[in-house]
Amino acid sequence: MKALVLTGGAGRTLVPFSSTRPKAMTVVAGGSLLRRTLTHLREVGVTDVTVVLGQNGEKVRQAFGDGSSVGLNIAYVTQDRPSGIADAVLAARSRFIPGEYFILAYGDVVTSGNPFHQALQSFNSFKGPIAGVCLPGPPTGRYGNVYLRGTRITKIVEKPTTGGMGNYVLAGWFVLPTESFTWLDQCGANMERMFDRLVESPSLHASIWEEGWMDVEFPWDVLAANRMVMDTWEEARISKNAVVDSAVTISGPVRIEAGSVIKSGAVLAGPCYIGRDCYVGNNVLVRSYSSLGPASLIGYGVELKNCVLFGNSKVGRLSFVGDSVIGENVDIGSGTMTINESMDRSTSIQIDIRGQNHDSGLTKLGAFIGDDVKIGAGNTIAAGTVLAEGSSVPHHATVGGRK
Amino acid sequence: MCGISGVVSFHPIDDRLYEGVHHLEYRGYDSCGVAFLENRHIEIRKDIGTVDEVDTKRNLRHLAAHVGIAHTRWATHGKVTRENAHPHTSCGCEFAVVHNGIIANYKELREELKKKGHKFGSETDTEIIAHLIEEHFVRCGDVERAWVGALRQLQGSFALAMISPHEPEHIFCARHESPLIIGVGAESNYVGSDFNAFIDYTKNTVILDDGEYGVVSKDSYSVKSLRSGDVIDKAVTVIPWDSELSRKGGYPHYMLKEIHEQPQAVRTALNIASDDIATVADMVMAAKRTYLLGVGTTYYVALYGQYILATLADLDVSSVSSDEFRYIDKTDASSLVLAVSQSGETYDTVMSLRHAKERGAKTAAVVNVVGSSIARMVDHVILQGSGPEVCVVSTKAALVQMLLLTRLALEIGVRRKVIKPAKHREYEAALTALPGEIETLLNEQSGIIRAAAYRHAHIQNWLFLGRGIYYPIALEAALKMKEVTYIHAEGMPGGFLKHGTLSLVDDKLYTLVMAPPPSCGELHAMTMSSVEEVKARGGFVFGFSYDEKDDIFSERVALAPTHELISPFLPLVGAQLLAYFTATALKRNVDKPRSLAKSVTVA
Repeated sequence: MKALVLTGGAGRTLVPFSSTRPKAMTVVAGGSLLRRTLTHLREVGVTDVTVVLGQNGEKVRQAFGDGSSVGLNIAYVTQDRPSGIADAVLAARSRFIPGEYFILAYGDVVTSGNPFHQALQSFNSFKGPIAGVCLPGPPTGRYGNVYLRGTRITKIVEKPTTGGMGNYVLAGWFVLPTESFTWLDQCGANMERMFDRLVESPSLHASIWEEGWMDVEFPWDVLAANRMVMDTWEEARISKNAVVDSAVTISGPVRIEAGSVIKSGAVLAGPCYIGRDCYVGNNVLVRSYSSLGPASLIGYGVELKNCVLFGNSKVGRLSFVGDSVIGENVDIGSGTMTINESMDRSTSIQIDIRGQNHDSGLTKLGAFIGDDVKIGAGNTIAAGTVLAEGSSVPHHATVGGRK
Repeated sequence: MCGISGVVSFHPIDDRLYEGVHHLEYRGYDSCGVAFLENRHIEIRKDIGTVDEVDTKRNLRHLAAHVGIAHTRWATHGKVTRENAHPHTSCGCEFAVVHNGIIANYKELREELKKKGHKFGSETDTEIIAHLIEEHFVRCGDVERAWVGALRQLQGSFALAMISPHEPEHIFCARHESPLIIGVGAESNYVGSDFNAFIDYTKNTVILDDGEYGVVSKDSYSVKSLRSGDVIDKAVTVIPWDSELSRKGGYPHYMLKEIHEQPQAVRTALNIASDDIATVADMVMAAKRTYLLGVGTTYYVALYGQYILATLADLDVSSVSSDEFRYIDKTDASSLVLAVSQSGETYDTVMSLRHAKERGAKTAAVVNVVGSSIARMVDHVILQGSGPEVCVVSTKAALVQMLLLTRLALEIGVRRKVIKPAKHREYEAALTALPGEIETLLNEQSGIIRAAAYRHAHIQNWLFLGRGIYYPIALEAALKMKEVTYIHAEGMPGGFLKHGTLSLVDDKLYTLVMAPPPSCGELHAMTMSSVEEVKARGGFVFGFSYDEKDDIFSERVALAPTHELISPFLPLVGAQLLAYFTATALKRNVDKPRSLAKSVTVA
């Protein structure tokens, strides 16, 4: 079976990371959301994948090329205008042979296991169109509410305004016949109307996903998604090409990739992830749920806690980074502290997203630092700070903080 | 629901048909059989029982033949007898057929065939297909044309497989509204209801669509349209998944599947003929004393029965756990023992019934599995028709049993003139609404209950409280929690609190309360006072409640207002979901909890 993967989602509220990459290129647990999706597809035997690119699509092309690095043949289709899912799907039409079924997947949802396995099993049971459905945690308006009779979907309520909290929602993966392209055309390139039609005839069956599922909507969701994935890790895995000095303490499921160097005195408490070619200096403390992307450089005596570094960033000596997300090519000067809680230690942290105040609901939350940010030495970064890509902070400053 | 399997091969069939139906046993297992071609004639081996039982009696393994079909049956209509077991053959034993589905026009076809001199050996709709093919074959002399001709006359749903000595190298198969697929193997091809029939031998399948038929030989297959006869080009699908999960048809666990099957199971149970219920009502009315028996979940169903018969029919019956019944059994010829069992094989219940029969008592039962020991041994059985229940933790079977006891109570209440006709109509309407209300709950509350389950999964001790008819419901709900999550949950009447249990209450012990609708008056008020008692000791109270004004709960799942009669069922479904989601949060083995088995056939 072939697959069609959509990466056009811009993730407007996922600032500052979405300014420089499609949402699907957000990193959790050492890999982008898209890499996870593609790997899951390969695991169920898919070989040919068409990826629809939207804004900042070149990031995807750079990361996956012809697909050989993930064991797939990947072809790309560029969405002419960023006008929604239906256009993206139609853009890929010519790559599919009539009369077949294919997997349609949103490249930017996170699951704790492989959802396609179960979706294909459901497809085999019903021999008809399948929609993955799940019960999300907090309500999200992005996915339609699904009504079921047995597993047959009887109704989809798009973007419910009230009372939808208890419902199953469309989870972002489907098994569909290629006639869907025609139906989509007939429905005026409106995905919602196409699914309504599918529910009526021939039918749409639900494949109920009971494992972890997340739509990474806000920057702090990256940390939750990272935790969800790492919670599935059961054993430590250290590349034979990693260099781990003596007197390094490793506990729990710690993953260390090839080319990384861990200096003596470092303490790695799993679950945590050290990507390729990282340098973890002497006496560094990497606490659980930390993910270091490739070529991260962590100086002497740094403490990292529940944070995601996308890769190629530098944290100078004697810094503390906690409950934070750091983009690519960030340079954090030595002695920098992220503050990750309020003074009373019980108020949830508020964040300004595109000029609008959001309550994260979390009492521990640090900073969100975009790509190519440069932070001088000896800085203090207030809880809930968002630093836009490319910005810079001088030495000995205090950034963020609410008035 | 039935399972079909078939093999055509360069090599002897050996155990492959046996393995095939064995893997399909989840689709039904009250009788099974095989047909194969030996020296240009059809040999049939079939009987009642599970695949293994039939194998012991008739030997389904080590077959030397190269072409054969097999079937496992879950009877919903027609008795479980050897005659009714598949395969079925024509008069001359020239065509053997296995079938899954229902032929709607079989009575007309049967009459027609009878007039033409065909003799029928069974009561099934399937047998007419074999005769119909024979009828066509006599005229045209070609098996494929006869097959197509016969199938075109059929109305209803069918998946079929057929063999004939006139085409000794082929299996004919067809699909219309019942599933059938072809398995493409090395030097062998297969047919099956689903790929479980041949998963051990090949993962390459060709999936038939409605209105298509296939002709399968050992090294090739073709698929054609039943209507036009045109060859249809079908792609081979490679199955990359394991066998177990596919049977769950879109669900992650059987437990969730069976919880979601409850609306349909209730609809089926509401359609069970009133004569069936009336016969048991007669027996209850005629008996001096009635005992309701069950063990585990079914004891709670029996206890529910005691409450509902008392409230609706003003009738006093005793519910007894069947493992204890022998110690207090004082039955005689004037007694009735009414047993409840999903499997119909529960050892303690079988023994109790046997004992009561010896003492001359009348017996009746509510049973899910057709042809089971209990179904066969009692004077009258109500078959609940809820379909196979695979998860060890009973959900749909128990709920439907409660529903059937409710129907029984209504019937007796009317006869005893305790229920006025107007009230009776109101009750009937309430029951009719139940499937829809369960469906709404599953659709609109699952997420809320799941979120609660994940939040509270760390709690090690629960009290489940209910009063009146909610008391057996609380017991049953607590049992679900225990079985599937391994968390301690204790069901008890709300009135027990003051008499000891309150000393347990602290902030680590959570309490679940099932509150009746406010229309229940005193029962509602008394239940809420139990909530107050727990809250006053600093306890956390999780409630299923119908009334917005029940605002003293620490956390409340709001149920949509409904009729009193069916109001106990909805918190039960809610509690099933709570147990299920708590189990998934804790990563338990949901469908096969440790130390438990589905059908307890030992003492």
